[in-house]
Amino acid sequence: MTELTFRRIHRATPDLLFTCMTTPEHLSHFWGPDGTTTPLENITVDLRPGGAFETTMVNQSDGSAYTMRAVYLEVERPVRLVWQDVDSDMLTRITFVDLHDGRTEVVTHQSRVPATVASPQAQAGFVTSLARFAAYITDGARA
Amino acid sequence: MAVLEDDLTLVFTALADPTRRAILERLSHGDATVHQLAAPFAMSQQAVSKHLLVLERAQLISRARVGQSRPCSLDAGRLAEAVSWIETNRQVWAERHDRLAAHLETL
Repeated sequence: MTELTFRRIHRATPDLLFTCMTTPEHLSHFWGPDGTTTPLENITVDLRPGGAFETTMVNQSDGSAYTMRAVYLEVERPVRLVWQDVDSDMLTRITFVDLHDGRTEVVTHQSRVPATVASPQAQAGFVTSLARFAAYITDGARA
Repeated sequence: MAVLEDDLTLVFTALADPTRRAILERLSHGDATVHQLAAPFAMSQQAVSKHLLVLERAQLISRARVGQSRPCSLDAGRLAEAVSWIETNRQVWAERHDRLAAHLETL
């Protein structure tokens, strides 16, 4: 199966990034998608294999809430973090790669991608979409 | 039209192969028979037929029952759904890392 990959390099140690990804006080600063907030009391982190990872994101414009429920499968500070979505079974694996120059590459792999909602698109955009897809799955996204 | 999880898996699997993506791109210009699709590739019609079966199962193409030729046509909607999911997902992680970078500045 295709594994989706997202890569980003941060100027921080693997240990600090691991801490940010697994501490509610940090997560509340960056977790929710743009336009949402994830208040501290909405984040559950039980950092052990089998422990819960739950975040309820609140939409800032209409107050609606969306809860992501996951269970940690692997917790290996500071190199690896794996969780599984309870609803969709999607696996998210985050690897922290020390670049030994003060920077760390955070690699997010996702597999068992879930169902999506339809978005009709004109045939004209097809080739662009195809190229984008190919670039994504062959290179991963580097932002 | 919501896609079942297994359906989306079929789409991603089908799209992971460069030959199948090339076939889809060809079909984006118009319907084609197996013979026409095989022409630009250095492979047999049998090999192309196998790729078409994968694409058909993923419902990325449909094949008409017109005599022996069975021309293939593209179902662009299915791909759009898969790309839409990927784009949304990528955006979520990109923005998350933008905010994380800003947060790291404050530590």
